[in-house]
Amino acid sequence: MRHYLSNIYFGVYTALVGMRITFKQFLQPSVTHQYPYDRSFEQKKNVREIPKGYRGKLHNRIEDCIGCKKCEMICPVDCITIVTQKLPRGERLWDSMNVVHLKDRTEIVGNIEGDEKPAPNTTVTINTRDDRTITVSSDEIASIVERKPVIFYLDQFDIDMSLCMYCGLCTEVCPTECLIMFDNLSDGIEYSTFDRTDLIYEFAEPEMYDQPADESTEAEAAD
Amino acid sequence: MLLGLQVENLHQFFVQSSDNWAQRFVQNHAPFLEHLPAPLGELAIMLACCVIFVAVVPLLPLGLVLAERKVSAHIQDRVGPMRVGPHGTLQTLADGVKLIFKEDHIPREGDKFLFVVSPYIIFACSFAVFAAIPFDRSILVSNLNIGIFYIMAISSVIVMGVIMAGWASNSKWSLLGAMRSAAQIVSYEIPLGLGILTVVMLVQSLNMQEIVNGQDGIANWLIFRTPFTFIAFFVFFISSIAEVNRTPFDLPEAESELVAGFHTEYSGMRFALFFIAEYANMFAVSAIAATLFLGGWHGIVPSGMLPEAGLLGFVLRAITLGGLLGVAIKTLCLVFVMMWLRWTLPRLRVDQLMNLCWKYFIPISFFNILGVGIWGLIFPQDSRLSIIISIAAIILGLILVFGVLGRSLSKSTTPPSSPDRQISATT
Repeated sequence: MRHYLSNIYFGVYTALVGMRITFKQFLQPSVTHQYPYDRSFEQKKNVREIPKGYRGKLHNRIEDCIGCKKCEMICPVDCITIVTQKLPRGERLWDSMNVVHLKDRTEIVGNIEGDEKPAPNTTVTINTRDDRTITVSSDEIASIVERKPVIFYLDQFDIDMSLCMYCGLCTEVCPTECLIMFDNLSDGIEYSTFDRTDLIYEFAEPEMYDQPADESTEAEAAD
Repeated sequence: MLLGLQVENLHQFFVQSSDNWAQRFVQNHAPFLEHLPAPLGELAIMLACCVIFVAVVPLLPLGLVLAERKVSAHIQDRVGPMRVGPHGTLQTLADGVKLIFKEDHIPREGDKFLFVVSPYIIFACSFAVFAAIPFDRSILVSNLNIGIFYIMAISSVIVMGVIMAGWASNSKWSLLGAMRSAAQIVSYEIPLGLGILTVVMLVQSLNMQEIVNGQDGIANWLIFRTPFTFIAFFVFFISSIAEVNRTPFDLPEAESELVAGFHTEYSGMRFALFFIAEYANMFAVSAIAATLFLGGWHGIVPSGMLPEAGLLGFVLRAITLGGLLGVAIKTLCLVFVMMWLRWTLPRLRVDQLMNLCWKYFIPISFFNILGVGIWGLIFPQDSRLSIIISIAAIILGLILVFGVLGRSLSKSTTPPSSPDRQISATT
C-alpha cells in the first residue's frame, strides 16, 4: 500500500517538476534569429566573426586584365571562359596599373609615378584610378606588381562560380593581379541565387574600349 | 402525414426543454418563421445553427494547430512558424491548401470502402460531440436530457473509425496503431465514465444544462463541491487526454515506432480530416471538462451579482470566466495544459499505459464514487457548510500530500522502482 501511494505521489510530483521546467522555458525569450530579415544579431559581440582564412569570391578588375588566359589554363575545373581579340601588332590599348603591396598586408591599386622600383627611404606617390593620390614611404612597400600592356580586347570573361572550387590558383598566376579573391563582407558572404545561371559572373565590358571590337577580327585570325 | 410526423419526432428528439435558444431566436429575431408550423421553424433555425457549427468548428483546429506549434516552439526556445502572414498566423491555412492539392492515395490492396469512409466517421463523430456542449445559457444546439451520455457514446464511435482506418490501410503500422488505439480508448473510457459518474451522482441529472446550472459562482463549481470531485477532475482530464491520443498517451500514432499510426497510409484531404478531428476532439474534451467541473458558462462570481444583459454584462461575465467567452477561456486554458503536458512528458510504454489506467485510475475512480456517495449521505443538500468543509479538505489534503507526506516519502528512498519494469512492451 505504501509502495502504491508513493508511486502515485512520485508520478504527480515528477510530472509537476517537469511542467515547471517547461513553463519556465515557455516564458523565456526564444533564441532564434530570423536571419535574412533580422540581422541585428550581427552587431552582437558573441557572434563568431568570419574566419581570417575566408577567401571570398572571385573578382576581376577588368581594366587591368591583359587577356593572357593563364587563369583559364590553370583552372582545375575549367570554370573560366575567356574570349579575346588581339590588337594589330605593335598596338596597345593601355597599360595595366601597378599593384602596391604594403607590409601591413594591404594593397593599393594605382600607377606609381615614374614606374620605377622605388629606392629605399623615399616617398612614393601613387595615382589611383579614382584620381586620388596616395603617398607612402618606400619602407612600407613589400612588393610591386609591374605594369603590363593590354594588347587584347576582352569579349568575354566569364567565371562560373557554381563550378569554382575556390583553390585560388587563378589569382596566383595572374600577372597583373587583377583577378583576386575578394572577401569584402559588405558584399555579403551569402551569394546564393535562385537561378543557377546567375552564378556565372560576367566581367567583360566590351563598351569600355573606344573603338568597336569587331575591327580587329582580322588580327585575331592572323593570330 | 408521414413527413409531418417525422418532423414532429425530430422536434421531440432534439428539443427537450422550453428554454431552448432556437425557440427564443425565432421569437426575437425571426418572427416570420413562426408562421410556419412551429416544429418546422425551429428545425430551420436548428439546421442553420448546425451549419454555423459545421462552419465554425473547423476554424478551431486552424487556430489550435498554430497554437500547438507556437507553444511547442516557445517551450523549446524557438519561435515557430513566422513566414506566412504576421507571425505565421496563416501557416495552418497554407498547410491546409497544400493538403487539399495533394494526391488522394488509396492503397491498392486495402479495403477501399472502409478506407474512404473512416475519416468521415471520425470527423463526423468529433463534430457531433459539439452538439451537446452548452456554451452559454442559450447557446446549445441540442438540449438532450441524456447530454453527457450522448457525448460519451458518440465519442466512443471514434475508435471504430480508427480501427476501420487501421484495418483498411493494409499496413502493419496502421493496424498496430489501430489495435493500440482500441485497447487504449476502451480502457480509458472506464475512468472517464466513472469520473463523469461522480458528477452525475452529485447533480442527479445527465442533462448538460442542468449540470451547469448548479455551478453558480466558484464555490459551487463541481470541482470544489466535494474533495472527491477535485480528484475526479484530474482523473477525468488525464483520461480524456488519453482518449484523444495526445502525447503522454499517443501510442496509436507513435511517430518513432509506428510512422504515423493508424493514418500512416492517408494523404491529402483525408489526412487533413484526421488532423482536424484530432484538434476538434481536443477542444471538445477540454470543453466537456470545463463544463462538468469548472462551472461551464457560470463564472467565478455568482451570476446574480452581475448585470444580466447588454455589452457591459457580457464583458463582465467574460472577465469573471462566465458566458460564451468564459467557456472559451476555460477551455483554451485546458487545451494549453494539454499542449504543455505534451511537450513535457515523454510517451508511455504500452504496459505503463495499461498500468496507469487499470491499477491507478480505475481504483481511484471507484474510491471517488464511494466518497461522493458517502458525502451525499452526509450532506443531502449542498449547503454553505458542506462547501466550506470541502474546500478546507482540499487545501488541507494538498498541504498534507505535498508538504508532509511527500517529504516523508522522498526521505525514505529514491523513487520506487516499478516491479513491472522488467516486462517488455508488447502490443
